[in-house]
Amino acid sequence: MGETLLTLNGVAKSFKDVDALVRVDLEIKSGQVVGLVGGNGAGKTTLLRLMAGVMEPSKGSILFQNNPVSSMRNKLGVVPESTGLYSRLTAWENIRYHSRIYGISDDVAWNRVSHFAKMLDLTDSLSRHTKGFSRGMRQKTALLRALAHGPDILLLDEPTAGLDVTSARTVRSLVGQLRDEGGTVIYSTHHLAEAQQVCDRIIIVHNGTIRADGSPNELLESTQKDSLEEAYVSLTSDKARSRSEDSKKESRLARWWRLFLTGRTPQIEGVGEDE
Amino acid sequence: MSNSWRFISTIAKKEIVEFIRDWRTLLALIVIPLLIFPALFIALPLLLQSEAAELDALELDVTWQGDVNDELHNSFNESNLIINFETIPDDIENLSDIGGDLDRIRNQETQAVFRLIENESGWKFSILYVSTSEASSEARSRIIEAISAWESDVVNGTLVEAGLEPESTLDPVQWDGDYESADAATKGEQAGLVLSLFIPMVIAIWTASSAIQPSIDMTAGERERGTLEALLCLPCSRIQLLAGKWLAVASITSAGVALQIGGLLFAITYLASSSIIGLPSVSLSSILLLLSAVVIFAIMVVAFELALAMKAHSVKEAGSLLGPAILFIIFPALFTQVINLDSVESWWFAIPLVNILLAMRELLLDRIIIEHVLVWLISSVFYAGLAAWFAAKQFKREDLVASLS
Repeated sequence: MGETLLTLNGVAKSFKDVDALVRVDLEIKSGQVVGLVGGNGAGKTTLLRLMAGVMEPSKGSILFQNNPVSSMRNKLGVVPESTGLYSRLTAWENIRYHSRIYGISDDVAWNRVSHFAKMLDLTDSLSRHTKGFSRGMRQKTALLRALAHGPDILLLDEPTAGLDVTSARTVRSLVGQLRDEGGTVIYSTHHLAEAQQVCDRIIIVHNGTIRADGSPNELLESTQKDSLEEAYVSLTSDKARSRSEDSKKESRLARWWRLFLTGRTPQIEGVGEDE
Repeated sequence: MSNSWRFISTIAKKEIVEFIRDWRTLLALIVIPLLIFPALFIALPLLLQSEAAELDALELDVTWQGDVNDELHNSFNESNLIINFETIPDDIENLSDIGGDLDRIRNQETQAVFRLIENESGWKFSILYVSTSEASSEARSRIIEAISAWESDVVNGTLVEAGLEPESTLDPVQWDGDYESADAATKGEQAGLVLSLFIPMVIAIWTASSAIQPSIDMTAGERERGTLEALLCLPCSRIQLLAGKWLAVASITSAGVALQIGGLLFAITYLASSSIIGLPSVSLSSILLLLSAVVIFAIMVVAFELALAMKAHSVKEAGSLLGPAILFIIFPALFTQVINLDSVESWWFAIPLVNILLAMRELLLDRIIIEHVLVWLISSVFYAGLAAWFAAKQFKREDLVASLS
């Protein structure tokens, strides 16, 4: 196992009165592929955003090689769930835009990108505008963009969500290749099978807390279950909370206006109803 | 190249490239501003002239009812009016009572009906026409012109018969010499006055309105399209991000305003060649101060619009916020046009927006009043700083990431 890259000490994150993460202590070492597994609203994306330095924790600290992560963002490569490509730019222009901000020369970026583009079968599409790209091509382009500056850690937020089987397989192969080359990847996913296939270490996040952290075998041993799915269910048996945006209170005026415009929602017997 | 400038220039360059790749944007922000004033000042008058010439050449049918006057009849013929004589209807109360002629006038069977009767005291007449018809109105104008000339002849004849000299009797107080040579203002200053009435307004309204679309696209648009999160993960600060986007919006807006002013100057040069208006004479100091005023104004407006657009969660919401905000520019711009610059108090130059607009008006008149310059310069730098601070506050908000569309 390599050196410690990322350290999270007592990290908590709240949005107004919603606790997105309660208390997280983690260490990410180099050469690992770490899977963040959890349901919708578990806190995976918040955790990734904190690790990426785009959010500040409400409590605790996040350090990258003993420095605040927000000052070390040039060492990270991030692929958000939305990929974030500009449709009026070509794939290469999208990649070049980010690498220039990272201070990487176009030649160096091109050399790295062309190496990975062959692996992802995207070489011919680099000069095309991304407007007509499929979800898979967008995801691959975002991956190339995140790799162009040679990051120490790659943070991937649900990289295979919405991809067809072949594209998802290609993305997983790339992650495997990165691990073989000694790279470090943090990989958030809903799918246990995928996490088991790709990750050396799985962190189960539920209701803003870390429920388990270890290799797939360690998780099975600690829960005394035969499959990861059963282990996951036993660790997350308490009811999942609603997402922070779902719990926003609707003002009286907003509710009156909604009802005025659209009328009442049909009610299911015994379930909460509009006043 | 410092890191900070590298971040800002890279962001600005990318925003501009992405923006100008849309031909609709180019049309709206580059081509239209360039053509709007030449179209307004050159093409429109030419069109009006050609329409007027076409109308002049038109033969118009007029029905003449009542007494006939040969002199007037000849004058009508010279004015391209085709006359058809009739008697005056019996069933009318006075000459302006349309009576049974209503339908044929409204149906344009005749463009106008001219009624004339002679009595002991002189002549009485009326013209029946349709004010909403150009041909009918033109027929009326030609009749009135002919009557005025005829009436003048009649009056002059009467005065001469009475032994009076018509010119000294009708116009006893006269201007001596040339009107224009009595004005101490130079042609250039007069042109400056004319331009000061609309250039500040054009700059203000165009800067504010043309910054709306790019401001929304680069903020709420990024949020809606999901590109903002990836951008926020980059190793540049939010302030550098704001500065890059500001530079892009300001460049696009400045290009639009510069082209619009270029088009305006071209139109003025064209009009100057036909002696309608002179070229304004503005000193170099006034031009430099004018440019400073425009730059400070652009800093303030663009920063404010970026901040408002960043506050919105979607393009639609940003449009709803920024659309009405343009009224905050239009009203002060209109208001400022009526302020009398000769007796304006210095505190006017401290009011947001009004200060820059007044400053531009004064400078176009080549008036540099140190007290005014200091007040508008200090106050507008303060307001621009305030707008930049507000924008920075919006860009630093954490929920930019937490509440992505």
